[in-house]
Amino acid sequence: MSQLYLFATLADTRIAVETEEVEAVVRLAEISPVPGMGVQVAGLSALRSRVLTIIDAAALIRGAPTPADRRGLAIIANISGHSYGIMVDGVSDICTVQNGRLPLRGQIDRNWAPYARGIVEYADGPCLLVSLSAFIEGGATVPVAA
Amino acid sequence: MDELLQEFISETQETLEALAGEVVAWEADPADRDRLDAIFRFFHTVKGSCGFLNLPRFERLSHAAEDVLSEIRSGNRVADPVTVSAVLSVMDRIGELAEAVAMGAALPNENDDYLIGALAERVAAAEEPACASACPEVEADQPAARAPHGHAPPRTIRLPLSLIDQLMNGVSDMVLARNELSRKLRERSADPELDSAFERLSTCVADMRDVISKTRMQRVDRLFAAIPRMVRDLGRDLGKRIDLSLEGGDVEMDREMVEMVVDPLTHIVRNSIDHGIESPEARRAVGKPEAGQLRLVARQSGNQIVISVSDDGAGINTARLVEKAVESGRITPQAAAQMGEQDKLDLIFQAGVSTAEQVTAISGRGVGMDVVRANVERIGGLISLDNHPGRGLTITLRVPLTLTIIPGLIVRAGGQHFAIPRAAVVEILHDNNETMAVHQVGGAQIATIRGVRHSMVDLEQVLELEKPVQVGPRAIMVVRSSSGVPFALGVSAVENHEELVIRPASPLVMASGVFAGMTLPDNGKPMLLLDAGGLANAARLPNIIDDQAARRQEARADAQTSVEMVAALRFEEITGERRLLKLSLIERVEDLRADMFGQSGGQAFVRLDGRLLPVANGLHRFDTEAVTALHVRDGERELCYPVACVLDIVQMPVVPDMVAMSGLLSGVAVIDGEHLEVINPFALFAALPEQALVEQAPGRCLLADAQDGWMREILAPLLRQAGYEVTIGLPDDGSLGAGDVILCGTAAAAGQAADLTGCPVVQLRASPRAAGPADGSIYRYDQNALMSAIAGARAAAGTRGGRA
Repeated sequence: MSQLYLFATLADTRIAVETEEVEAVVRLAEISPVPGMGVQVAGLSALRSRVLTIIDAAALIRGAPTPADRRGLAIIANISGHSYGIMVDGVSDICTVQNGRLPLRGQIDRNWAPYARGIVEYADGPCLLVSLSAFIEGGATVPVAA
Repeated sequence: MDELLQEFISETQETLEALAGEVVAWEADPADRDRLDAIFRFFHTVKGSCGFLNLPRFERLSHAAEDVLSEIRSGNRVADPVTVSAVLSVMDRIGELAEAVAMGAALPNENDDYLIGALAERVAAAEEPACASACPEVEADQPAARAPHGHAPPRTIRLPLSLIDQLMNGVSDMVLARNELSRKLRERSADPELDSAFERLSTCVADMRDVISKTRMQRVDRLFAAIPRMVRDLGRDLGKRIDLSLEGGDVEMDREMVEMVVDPLTHIVRNSIDHGIESPEARRAVGKPEAGQLRLVARQSGNQIVISVSDDGAGINTARLVEKAVESGRITPQAAAQMGEQDKLDLIFQAGVSTAEQVTAISGRGVGMDVVRANVERIGGLISLDNHPGRGLTITLRVPLTLTIIPGLIVRAGGQHFAIPRAAVVEILHDNNETMAVHQVGGAQIATIRGVRHSMVDLEQVLELEKPVQVGPRAIMVVRSSSGVPFALGVSAVENHEELVIRPASPLVMASGVFAGMTLPDNGKPMLLLDAGGLANAARLPNIIDDQAARRQEARADAQTSVEMVAALRFEEITGERRLLKLSLIERVEDLRADMFGQSGGQAFVRLDGRLLPVANGLHRFDTEAVTALHVRDGERELCYPVACVLDIVQMPVVPDMVAMSGLLSGVAVIDGEHLEVINPFALFAALPEQALVEQAPGRCLLADAQDGWMREILAPLLRQAGYEVTIGLPDDGSLGAGDVILCGTAAAAGQAADLTGCPVVQLRASPRAAGPADGSIYRYDQNALMSAIAGARAAAGTRGGRA
């Protein structure tokens, strides 16, 4: 029962993502903004001949878009046939965790609730296990920023 | 094992699709051995394959069908429509079963025995002719099917779609890498060797891209494959005879495009059969051949595929369409009255409008043409109608060759770039153009372009972008949304025209409704494709038909402020002047025989279809045999306006350039540097006599005394010259009409005749002087008195008759 996880930081929180969901991690090139979108859609970016829809996941948690100078890495994921890049602050490691997913303990922050799936124990403490597709599907319901 | 099964299923499904047309063609010509063999082979293959795949139901069905077909092959049985129907339903069932197996679902548990029973059934030959006549005849040009024996078909392999898509993506990556390399090379010093090597690579990449694109292409045959079967089944259901012809099946188009076009095309064909082509009885009644013609033609025109569906049926009854639209409250009667023929025809694309008298299972529910148009426009296509009421309808679809490459314009707004399909853009102007003006009214922007008002929005406003301060003019594009109402879209600039490779955007982006997709131009910066209809919706622009008509009306009303133009007919008067008359008043222009014109009581008239129409300019004698005349109508009254000739239709200002009301003229307008007098329609109708002309029966004069030589030799020719019909002697049966006048030579005869017939009587005397004050007779050589007496007598009789 060992599962491979990608560990990253998002909105100052340590997160873990199941590697099945992850296609690659890239340094973001230029992002072309898409007008009329909610805060979570940062824009479009080209990865070779592919066009990624860049999701500002931190904006979903904090409610405000991440400033351009803090946009660095993105996790590429293919969700229901479309390519997305989920922006993260940083990526630390990929490794297997013996116990796998553990149930959540304590009262989870309301902003995190739609995306959290459990807890994964990492070397120096627990990380929040999140689902990338939840950022896309859950994010669709967030009202457009004024 | 699974792989084998999968292959069997997809092969079966594919063959079924190709065979549906074959079976129908075979039914039309049962002697066609090649087709029979092809169908037989299909069942044989299925039977053979399912034996070792352990699919007993397939086996039973195909076995039964094979038996019947081999009987037909050996000549023991004929391919009558009942047998063909049974074979078709077995094929359908096999298709259903194959689908069920492919989905992994439980096999539909229906009674196969029934189908097999139907196959075995033999029908008395007596009832055949009726059925046979309902069968469509197919003249598909299917070169593949007609390929001579012994000629091996090209070898093919099966590939998963995803693999081809990966290849496509790989090639796109290569193209982008090449572009980048090319940029880098240009920055460095020129090295001919390197350049030529790069050139070679470049050509290879381009060739590769072309070849890979071809893997996406498919013959239109596939699109047509299901049509013959559908036409046959529908024709039989509705009792109509249809001759179907398919042309251009070898044209190739993008596979995805084929899939997008199938539904609209199917719908159009169903409509043609259900509403277009009449029943054989109705067709016979109007003198058309009993079998309706249905033609599907595909051809390539530039980077478009043109597919036209034409029938020789009843066409679209636009009047009925308007009626329905008014009934359903979609448009007001006023708006309907102002609509042109094309606008009326366009009503068919409104949701919920149908001309079908009753809802049938096939069509007529009013969900249809609107969906068809929306679907066709979604893939960047166009749909157009060519309607000939009573003679047929041609519907033409124009769709781009591929879904993925469209010509587009790159526009800049709010510092960003966007693409818009070129097909959606009607025209582009700069906002400092003299022919246009932009006004702000209560927050709304209105762009008036050459007198036509459009709703206007700025792209920045719709997309909630900041509108940067700009030096120089902004560009205004007139954009036609899918609902058909053009609007003006303001952008910073229109920058470029490019062939764009369009790919779908993620659902998150599409949800905004204003984007249709995205594209990656050579500069590597992703760009969004705007959706014209979506923009109009997002800006909440009015785009209903009523509004369109109302806007036109409004535009006419305040013609004082802007130079509003109306269509006018330019013609030459018989007297030589050139004049204008508003076109909307003219019902038609026709050539009339000069002898149809006449004059009565100072008023010229023309006899038309048994009615008398007043003639406007009082002319009634012409030098020529035929006279060109305008038929003018003010809604209730009509008049005829003879002219020397009709010149052309021009646009004239509603208010003449120089107003000078006099007589029939309202002023002078300058058209193309020529001064033309404008007819005042008000004066034209005001000058008419109050009462419409009532035509009287042609007058008849009866000469009472048949023996009188003077009456016969001198009076009769005179009366005939004056236009009366002359009868010598009173008719024996006493049948006298209302317009008859009796002429007699003596007072006694006059009294007798008056008593006898009740007709007006004019008495003539030979002496120039009257016999006394009571003498009402007229001197027989006083022509004026005589004529007015006859006319007076007729008029008096006419009023009497009218009162009675």
